[in-house]
Amino acid sequence: MITPEISWLAILPEVMLALGAAAVLLVEVQWKPVSRVLGIIAAGSVVLAAAFSVLQWAQAADSIELGATGDLVAFSGLVLMDGLAIFGRFALLAVTAFGLLAGSRYIESLGRRSAEAIALVLLASAGFSIMVAANNLVMMFLGLEVGSIALYVLAGMSRERARSDEAAIKYFLLGSFASAIFIYGVALIYAGTGEFEVLGIREFLGSFVVFSPAVILIGLGLVLVGLGFKVSAAPFHSWAPDVYQGAPAGVVGYMAAVAKIAGFVAMTRILLTGVGALDANWLPIVAAMAALSMLVGSTLALVQGDVRRMLAYSGVAHAGFILTGVVGGTTEGILFYLAVYSLQLVGAFAVAAAVSGAGNSESALESYRGLAKKSPFLAGSFTVLLLGMAGLPVTSGFIAKFGVFTEAWANGFRWLVIVAVLASVIAFAFYLRIIVAMYMDESEAMAVDVPASSRWVLMVAVGTTILWGILPGSLLSLASDALPL
Amino acid sequence: MLTWLVLLPILGAVAVLLTPAARRELHIPMGIALSILPLGLALYLFAAFEPQVDMQFAEFHSWYEPWGIAWNLGIDGISMPMVVLTTILVPIALGASTTVTSRTKEFVVYTLLLEAGMIGVFVSLDLFLFFVFFETILIPMYFIIGIWGSERRVYAAMKFFIYTAFGSALMLAGIIALAVLHNDQVGSPSFALADLSGLDLSVGAERWLFAAFALAFAIKVPVFPLHTWLPDAHTEAPTAGSILLAGVMLKLGTYGLLRFNLQLFPKASVDAIWIMGILAVIGIVYGAAVAIVQPDLKKLVAYSSVSHLGFIVLGTFALTSGGLQGAVIQNVNHGLTTGALFLLVGMIYDRRHTKQISEFGGLQKVMPVFAGFFLFMIFASIGLPGLNGFVGEYLVLIGSFTTLPVLAIIAASGVILAAIYLLWAYERVFTGVPEKEENKALADLSIREITLLAPLTALVLLLGLYPNILLDKIAPSTEAVLDHIEASTDYVVPAPGRLGDVFVAGGEGE
Repeated sequence: MITPEISWLAILPEVMLALGAAAVLLVEVQWKPVSRVLGIIAAGSVVLAAAFSVLQWAQAADSIELGATGDLVAFSGLVLMDGLAIFGRFALLAVTAFGLLAGSRYIESLGRRSAEAIALVLLASAGFSIMVAANNLVMMFLGLEVGSIALYVLAGMSRERARSDEAAIKYFLLGSFASAIFIYGVALIYAGTGEFEVLGIREFLGSFVVFSPAVILIGLGLVLVGLGFKVSAAPFHSWAPDVYQGAPAGVVGYMAAVAKIAGFVAMTRILLTGVGALDANWLPIVAAMAALSMLVGSTLALVQGDVRRMLAYSGVAHAGFILTGVVGGTTEGILFYLAVYSLQLVGAFAVAAAVSGAGNSESALESYRGLAKKSPFLAGSFTVLLLGMAGLPVTSGFIAKFGVFTEAWANGFRWLVIVAVLASVIAFAFYLRIIVAMYMDESEAMAVDVPASSRWVLMVAVGTTILWGILPGSLLSLASDALPL
Repeated sequence: MLTWLVLLPILGAVAVLLTPAARRELHIPMGIALSILPLGLALYLFAAFEPQVDMQFAEFHSWYEPWGIAWNLGIDGISMPMVVLTTILVPIALGASTTVTSRTKEFVVYTLLLEAGMIGVFVSLDLFLFFVFFETILIPMYFIIGIWGSERRVYAAMKFFIYTAFGSALMLAGIIALAVLHNDQVGSPSFALADLSGLDLSVGAERWLFAAFALAFAIKVPVFPLHTWLPDAHTEAPTAGSILLAGVMLKLGTYGLLRFNLQLFPKASVDAIWIMGILAVIGIVYGAAVAIVQPDLKKLVAYSSVSHLGFIVLGTFALTSGGLQGAVIQNVNHGLTTGALFLLVGMIYDRRHTKQISEFGGLQKVMPVFAGFFLFMIFASIGLPGLNGFVGEYLVLIGSFTTLPVLAIIAASGVILAAIYLLWAYERVFTGVPEKEENKALADLSIREITLLAPLTALVLLLGLYPNILLDKIAPSTEAVLDHIEASTDYVVPAPGRLGDVFVAGGEGE
């Protein structure tokens, strides 16, 4: 009997995260330690996962140099160790670490249930991490479900609050529906190509001329609906505001960021690698989704009276901007955008969590009035992050937008770029509304206490926003190396 | 050298940031002292500047090679005067801000960052870098208007930001389009002005791109009918904000039209002579007409800016030596005189807390020194011979008469209208007998206030009596712009439009 050669390295990061989750639960049962100990275990597993990802990066570079890219296909084609997967995972791990740090006050407030929250975060990251590395679409679905289910539970962790329950149920129902649509799409793609593997689909489309690709395209459309839901692209975004507002403030940033990273990396892989040959068919659809997301997100954010709902709609707009990068057709812009935006998102929700207090979800714009006086640090950090999300120069957000716009323009989608720059201007207005409330309103804000852990998260988020805005090369060169197979 | 010019205000802002917020009395003097440093450097650059065509003090460092973006700085005769003007106005604006009592630290930090950004705009030779500065300066100005402005400050700040951001958004698309075209034609992306002006553009592409850039700059200038943000921003802004807004930020528009539109899109520029000229003249007459009926002194000066900047746009699109030189020097002149007028309005506002013309009357008797300075600046603004405004408006009118005679004749009425609205305002505010009790006890200018006005007064006189000190340095660069246009299009500057055709100030330098 021949035992197939197994490249364990390909899944070690996910194994580390899963083991970390298991360890957190077991240690909790056995010793009931303070939640700080559980946090250290979680941090350890994230660090180990990152370390193995570094090894993967080195191996990917070696293999590409030797021309032996076959080594990067592991588990008989189920998962890949290419640049796209590894970069995506790094982003996921960074968001996990900062998400746990930013949510630590909330997690501690859960008391004995804090182990559950930490374990769920680690499991969600493990699932999404498999999703970004998946080559086989069924594997991708498994990753998506592992990650999503963990997030549904996280959204409902604060059971005593009706709004949190509502958010969780809504997220769960709509999310499972989207997952079902996704897997149905996968089935149709399989029906059309006879392949589950992204690389196989590319090979199939490369070697055969498909005269009527209708089945494949319908399948692709359903997959896009499913992923569009996960990344909250319009018109599949209606869950986002309720969930962002209702779920516990401490973990919303994490939830939003990981779903975006994983969803977009998967979408990039399927569209650009898998069905790249059919781009004449899907480019217009994705471009329309991008334009709709940017316009809907920016305009609806204008009329929100709640900062977290605003951030949700701004997330819809950002999904549109990243889709513009997908239309542009290169991974560099998408990955850079995902990396900088997800850190800004975690930072922004760290501010929201500090302003609304642990667990509590009140985040009306009113409560930000005069924040600059109460906590110059918080207001200043939030301002930098908002300007970064708005995409003003000297922040990483500008470089990110510039990158995706340039690619889309070069790819011939000029109208989309013009819609995008105009949507950015609309978006300025609501980011400025928050800044106005913090700096130009004299009324007194409530005293705000910022936990030390949130301070660290904010310093990193603000620091990278400015650093990558001034010296973008440090991250851009990594993103441009992170190529899919 | 130019890098330091950009960095010094930023370092200054950091230094101020590190001082304790409670030491309010420290911040503004510190800001003034720190803004003297870039002024010194700029004056040195002015002295060392050779009247030649080339970009001087040029610096080049690649920023991110694969994208072709670079830290690419340099000044020529078109940008050098603007850099000097900026560094002169910032210490004066800070000196005029002693009435700012709350959050002084932030105020000085924003002003210094604004200075760095404005200098950056003028010294950038890379379009990406230029855009970065052009857009970034909106943030400090937004805060200056929004935090320290008067009653409707938040509305005005928001309107200012969104309006100008809207214009620059389409310019961003234009910049991207140029870089992509460069990539298609040459094989590598580049944002360098020198590279992009060598692109081979179709007429259609050039017109679209011209429109995208012109919209951004026309909003900034502002060219009629895109001026509606300006009166709000000016009336609500604190004195320092108004000085820098009128003195420097509006010039980003006229500078951009001259530097980028003419240089990058010569064919479209030649085609656009009439459109831009007509809009400019509408601005001149409309701004002046609206200024006449303003009951608010600050709004009056704001609308006079709309009128005066119309001259600069007209001169730019006259595409003659006189027009371009007049445009550049008028940029400086308007910065000096309007800066001074806003400063003066700020001084009277500090005393009476009103800007309504009807509240005043007979101030000449109570504040003779103030009235003297005001009248002097009004004369400069009207364009009295011997003062700086005359030089610029004369050059613009002479220059545009060659190519756009009808428009030049209509524009000349703007000079008369300026005399009407400014002198009438002077009459209502200063002449007669003071009737209101509050006006009878007003204190005349203090030594500090005279110190602020003195350098501006001296420069107004200097540029009025000896404009060649600046024109000699401007001329080679503006001639180069015309050479570039003549080389890339069928357009030939009609005689006597070029230097040498006719006596134009600065001509003996040739």
